[in-house]
Amino acid sequence: MTAATGALRHAAPRSALWRRRGVRKAATLYLLISPWLLGFALLSAIPLALALLMSFTNYDGLNLEYVRFLGFDNYARALTDADAQHALGRTLVLVVAVVPIGLVVQLSLALMLNQPIRLSALFRTIFYLPYVIPVVAGAWVWKLFTDPSGGLLNALIGIASPDVNIRWLVDYPTVVLALFTIWGATGGGMVVFLAGLQGIPAEYREAAMIDGASRVQVTRFITLPLLTPVIFFNLVIGIIAALQILVQPMLLAPGIVGLGPGTVPPSDNYLYAVHAYITIFVHQLFGYGSALLWLLFLVVVGLTFILFKTSRRWVFYGVEP
Amino acid sequence: MTPRATRRQVLIGAGALVAASAAAPILAACQASTPKTGGSGKVVVMTDPNEFSDDDRKILEDATKLKIEVVKSDLTTLYAMWAAGNPPDVFRVQAAGLPQYISRKMVKNLQPYFANSKFLKLDDLAPANNFYRSDGKTVGKGDLYGMVKDWSPDFTLFAYAKAFDDAGVKVPSDTTPLTYDELHTIAKKVDRKQGGKRVYWGFVHSNNDQWIDRTAMNMLAEKNQSLYSDDFSKLVIAGSPEALKVVRYLYDLAAEGLQQSPVDPSPNWMGADFNNGQIAILQYGYWFSAMAESDTTKGKTVMLPAPTWAGVRRDPTMTATGWVISSQTKDADAAWAVFEQYMGGKPAQDRAKSGWGVPGLKSLYAQMPQESAFQKQVQRVVQGELPKSDFVLQFNPYVGEETFSTSWKKNLEPALKGQIGFDKFVQNIESEVNAAIADGKRIIRS
Repeated sequence: MTAATGALRHAAPRSALWRRRGVRKAATLYLLISPWLLGFALLSAIPLALALLMSFTNYDGLNLEYVRFLGFDNYARALTDADAQHALGRTLVLVVAVVPIGLVVQLSLALMLNQPIRLSALFRTIFYLPYVIPVVAGAWVWKLFTDPSGGLLNALIGIASPDVNIRWLVDYPTVVLALFTIWGATGGGMVVFLAGLQGIPAEYREAAMIDGASRVQVTRFITLPLLTPVIFFNLVIGIIAALQILVQPMLLAPGIVGLGPGTVPPSDNYLYAVHAYITIFVHQLFGYGSALLWLLFLVVVGLTFILFKTSRRWVFYGVEP
Repeated sequence: MTPRATRRQVLIGAGALVAASAAAPILAACQASTPKTGGSGKVVVMTDPNEFSDDDRKILEDATKLKIEVVKSDLTTLYAMWAAGNPPDVFRVQAAGLPQYISRKMVKNLQPYFANSKFLKLDDLAPANNFYRSDGKTVGKGDLYGMVKDWSPDFTLFAYAKAFDDAGVKVPSDTTPLTYDELHTIAKKVDRKQGGKRVYWGFVHSNNDQWIDRTAMNMLAEKNQSLYSDDFSKLVIAGSPEALKVVRYLYDLAAEGLQQSPVDPSPNWMGADFNNGQIAILQYGYWFSAMAESDTTKGKTVMLPAPTWAGVRRDPTMTATGWVISSQTKDADAAWAVFEQYMGGKPAQDRAKSGWGVPGLKSLYAQMPQESAFQKQVQRVVQGELPKSDFVLQFNPYVGEETFSTSWKKNLEPALKGQIGFDKFVQNIESEVNAAIADGKRIIRS
């Protein structure tokens, strides 16, 4: 014990309750996490509660005097909203496209960069870079990259086939969106995989190789099973993030880059969060928009629950629960 | 020994926390919290920083002895501030949004202030200010709720002479207005692609379709028709032969590739495309003359009068960008002081001389620039258009200013790709806009 803590201990009389070790530990814990708790309460919990309340009203975001309680009308409306159904379908298509491919890319890069190769730190930085580039700048780069007239992509294809003039953002908007999303998320997931790989004791791999296992067998039977908790974590995070994609399709929409109520993505990129955004900020149906978002929240919770249930079969933890 | 959480429990806990908080940001967007506004000594002005310089702010602060806080103009932010109960004291609007704001009692009736103003005399107000008049039903009649910062006859055309030369077509007269049909024919001649790549768009209008309803409404108004029923309770296209004709005309421009569209987009805004020499005919207001001549287009740009839909030709502003005062301002007199100085004081005179718009006060008209040959040509056209500018567009009070254009853009893409026919395109727009009108009516009437 230091002199300072000793002095603090004698500075004021403590109650019997405080002297109890459990209470003291709990109080310290809550004190330490209080900044986060406060932030969560003010910036998440309270707005969430207000949004839930709003979802049962006709609130238009402008006048409180017109607010009326609608019960579950907004939720019932969402179930028959053809645009919401289309948007949810497109969102699920994107999730199915982006999440598995994204995981494979992230894991592959992490496995490669985990090897003792020259310039690995440089490559890690390069692959991580898109993760820290602002999404607006990234979208602008991708718009220029895929531009039919002067874009690099068509220019590269043009080397082999000079007459090619593919309108990527018009004819293949979801492909571009998926690639843009994967490109932007790869760095973050790769770093988490790298951390996981570096947490696997080298002795396991060495022992297997002494026993005659090949590199592929070591990866298949040692590395991947021990990495499943990290794969699971990235899978859950990836699905949640993909379900909420809003900005990317708006920024890749035809016309000038911008995120505002006047922006409408192509039909194939009309995602659920975009529909909610347009409902709220174009049609000014804050109540209905909130109901749409709460339904999305339920979808997120439902999918997460299913993933946790299935995880018992394929996720291997170092310590038995 | 105290029990320790297993790795599995920690991961499960982390996942659950992530799931619980995942939807928080997007839901929280509806509840954006903003600083308290208004009150004694400070006026919060939401405007475009390009239209309100630091110098303007200092001039107004000196003149009014008030502190001015500037918030960047943005519809999403405006709605969020209203949702949080802290709207700006003064905010920038465009004509299309105003009827809705008036019907929802969001803006203050400024008639008494205008009646007693030192700078802003009622008989000196330019006709574009009629967009800020409302008697509760009709725009253009009744009390004033705001004022244009400046304005333009917005249906004028800018022709890029080189595109005409390349097509072997004569640039149209700047004294005799074209009909929209003639314009369509000329646009087809000057529109050009080479090797599948765009050289010139023939006729570009409506700012990436953001103002498509305004263009349609002005065309229809020439024949005393509207996109909406008289009581604004319905969007009527299929049931109105003239509205259907106008919508078909605008649709065909996109379908024929003469106009930028979701299947033939530009990564730029149309002004930049004109400056880059990629547009043969651009429909834009007088304000654009201040920047129409780039290195590429200098000496090759001609302003033309607004075309006509073969009715009573009219060339009003379609934006009427200006300021209003929030009905919830806590210090209306302070807000008016700032408003009055901006609209009638030195900033207004500076704007008039800049050429970025026709002044909101007729007494400042003479200050518009007329030095260069292009400015003189522009002024000749503008002076011919001013008598045709004394009109307003009747916007729907039940829907937001982006409702029609959002529906148009959403359905234009599948229509141009052949996924839906023109009839279905019209039907979808009617259905979506009418649903939004019904929502707006329910909210206001509740």
